[in-house]
Amino acid sequence: MSQQTSVARDRGADAIPVNKHRRDWRGWKFMWPFAVIFVLVFIIPIVYAVYISFFKRKLALGNRTVFVGFDNYIRLFQDQQFWQGVGRVAAFTVIQVPVMLVLAALMALALDSMKLHGTKFFRISTFLPYAVPAVVSTMIWGFVYGAKYGLVGSLNDLLGTHFDVLDPSVLLVAIGNINTWEFTGYNMLIFYSALSTIPHSLYEAAAIDGATEWQIVRRIKMPELRGSLAITVIFSIVGSFQLFNEPQILKTMVPGNAINTSYTPNIYAYNLSFTANDSNYAAALAIVMAVITMIIAYAVQLKSMKEQMK
Amino acid sequence: MRTAKKIMAASAAVASMFAFTACGESNTNATPGAQPTDTNTAEAKGEITFWGWDSGNAMGDIIAAFEKANPGITVNFNNTGTAEKTSTALTNAISAGKGAPDVVMLEDPTVTQFAVTGDLLDLTAFGADKLADDYAAGPWNKLQYNNAPYALPIDSGPEMFFYNKAVFDKAGVDGESIKTWDDYYEAAKKIRATGAYITNMAGTSNDYQPFTAQAWQAGAQPWKVDGTKITINMSSDAGLKKYTDFVQKLIDEDLVDTKTSNWSDAWNRGLNDGSIASLTIGAWMPTNLISGAPDQAGNWRVAQLPQWESGKEVSAEDGGSALAVVKSSASQAAAYKFIEYLTHGDGAQLMADTGTFPSLKKILSSSAFTDPNNEANKKTNDYFGGQNVNQVLAEAAQRPTEKFQYLPYNPFAQTAYGDEVSKAYTKEITLAEAMKNYANKLAEQGKSQGYDVTVE
Repeated sequence: MSQQTSVARDRGADAIPVNKHRRDWRGWKFMWPFAVIFVLVFIIPIVYAVYISFFKRKLALGNRTVFVGFDNYIRLFQDQQFWQGVGRVAAFTVIQVPVMLVLAALMALALDSMKLHGTKFFRISTFLPYAVPAVVSTMIWGFVYGAKYGLVGSLNDLLGTHFDVLDPSVLLVAIGNINTWEFTGYNMLIFYSALSTIPHSLYEAAAIDGATEWQIVRRIKMPELRGSLAITVIFSIVGSFQLFNEPQILKTMVPGNAINTSYTPNIYAYNLSFTANDSNYAAALAIVMAVITMIIAYAVQLKSMKEQMK
Repeated sequence: MRTAKKIMAASAAVASMFAFTACGESNTNATPGAQPTDTNTAEAKGEITFWGWDSGNAMGDIIAAFEKANPGITVNFNNTGTAEKTSTALTNAISAGKGAPDVVMLEDPTVTQFAVTGDLLDLTAFGADKLADDYAAGPWNKLQYNNAPYALPIDSGPEMFFYNKAVFDKAGVDGESIKTWDDYYEAAKKIRATGAYITNMAGTSNDYQPFTAQAWQAGAQPWKVDGTKITINMSSDAGLKKYTDFVQKLIDEDLVDTKTSNWSDAWNRGLNDGSIASLTIGAWMPTNLISGAPDQAGNWRVAQLPQWESGKEVSAEDGGSALAVVKSSASQAAAYKFIEYLTHGDGAQLMADTGTFPSLKKILSSSAFTDPNNEANKKTNDYFGGQNVNQVLAEAAQRPTEKFQYLPYNPFAQTAYGDEVSKAYTKEITLAEAMKNYANKLAEQGKSQGYDVTVE
């Protein structure tokens, strides 16, 4: 009996190095349901988009697709309409994202200070815009903004002014305002949850040490916020680079043609696909945009990780 | 790790195989001049899907009448909202290779585009070519490609002059006396003096249809299409120049509202509060006015389109829609039977009764169509202050039209119009310059779609 077990143990000891070289498929048996879905909904669409970006459908050839190599990409890099759109969303991001995140952080700090009444109501009401579909909120704001028939128009009549917040020169700011309204509550909630993970003992210790409220914010709360800042910045950058709903809905509400078919890269891709019969070029655009967004998001992440190391 | 990489590579390979087959399928689909496989309409049975919009709010009743008259055929109507959404959805379904309807409602200028790509059936085999003389020439001519009909016209849209008599009276203008575009210009000045605008023009994609109609009436031939050869002439075409010079004058003197685009919320409000005093738009407009400008009931009137030369009677078409059979349909004969019923058979009368402006000569010239005691006419005539509206519209529909060709990539032409031409309405550039940029944009698109394009 004891001999047998020792043999078995010996074999077991021998078997370990052998097992290292033999394939063990047990893991994959658990993995395959995920792997199949991952390939179907993630890998295949991306590969397919890359694939069709090397072709072009031509109406004159009976809508046949022909292989064109890198033509779509070459055309894209020379396409002023595309780069204007990229410039527009980049400018939008640089201004709107900081404004929104500062507002969100201030709101979260205010909520967390425990010095306010009605925090529950405040928390829900600032988060509520996030739950309203973008289409609906854009229409609401569109009616507010209207210089002829909207709230702005009524105020103009009342005050004798001539403000037009949908004028092409300030239109992007007006859209930024809608986005800020929609997403500040969402970011506030992320910040707030980060703040509420701070153990109470830290505050007690600070109180014993005689720390002022400002010192508590600076030394305890701000460092805690920094971690969630990276997440919110990346989400916001990705979101504003994909700007589509708000300008697309506002299109028929703004005077004239202030929002054209290439206002943002996403709107351009949409119009290329559905009115210009050029889904191949739109695929190339989508891929380039994805790469640009990935590079920016990666740079932000790298920077924030470095800061956290400090 | 290595296994994972291999699996990734394998899945990428599988993915590209899918892609190859998908591509191969769409290639075979694209043979121009698609012929039907089943023309036996007498024994047609089955279920057909129909995509379209329902401006008269009566499609349910009309389909019920069709199903009653044709037992064995069921029609599933899918309200796709607007013309633009319908053609977008059709493009998507065709490129996806499935999910396309059997019957589709399209705006006239887009019919050729789908005929060129071989996605609509040539209706000659069903005998549709023999119906040519039964329809008004304007809409019928727009649905032909390679001398074969690819759709049957539901309605026609002769361009009309609609005006708000109350606003015109206040400005001291008699709408009836506006016979030429010069008269129109003088009226515009008087109306502007009262604070209102004679009309709106913003150069957006929604103003593309009225643009083509009025340039067409001026005798413009900006686009000539001959197979895969396209000639674009938007800088020296005499008709187009007449149009651009005239509109430029209206913009420069602030005689038109350049901020409000057609079909926007502000447009309906402007029509409703009288700040937009008239429209030059298709004969299908009355139902839209009744629903969009209810406060002005009794004030609107309709007249013939002003002429470029006094004494002439030249008309042009604005919009109009048609029904076509999609090539992928499994019940082609039943589908044709349905479109014939709706545009040529008993359904055409039902459509006309619910506000569609007919293209069928038989209905246009029938006494019932212009009978002021007819129930449907009563409602419209009341809104138009007792005017016999259909009499004016029917006269326009019988007027001669010049030939006019749209580009095979009409949806692009429409959106690009907004991008390029609107700059003239915000006074960044002149309309002539905008037209030149627009021509170049159209040429660029044509070349990238494989056409042989010449810009003159």
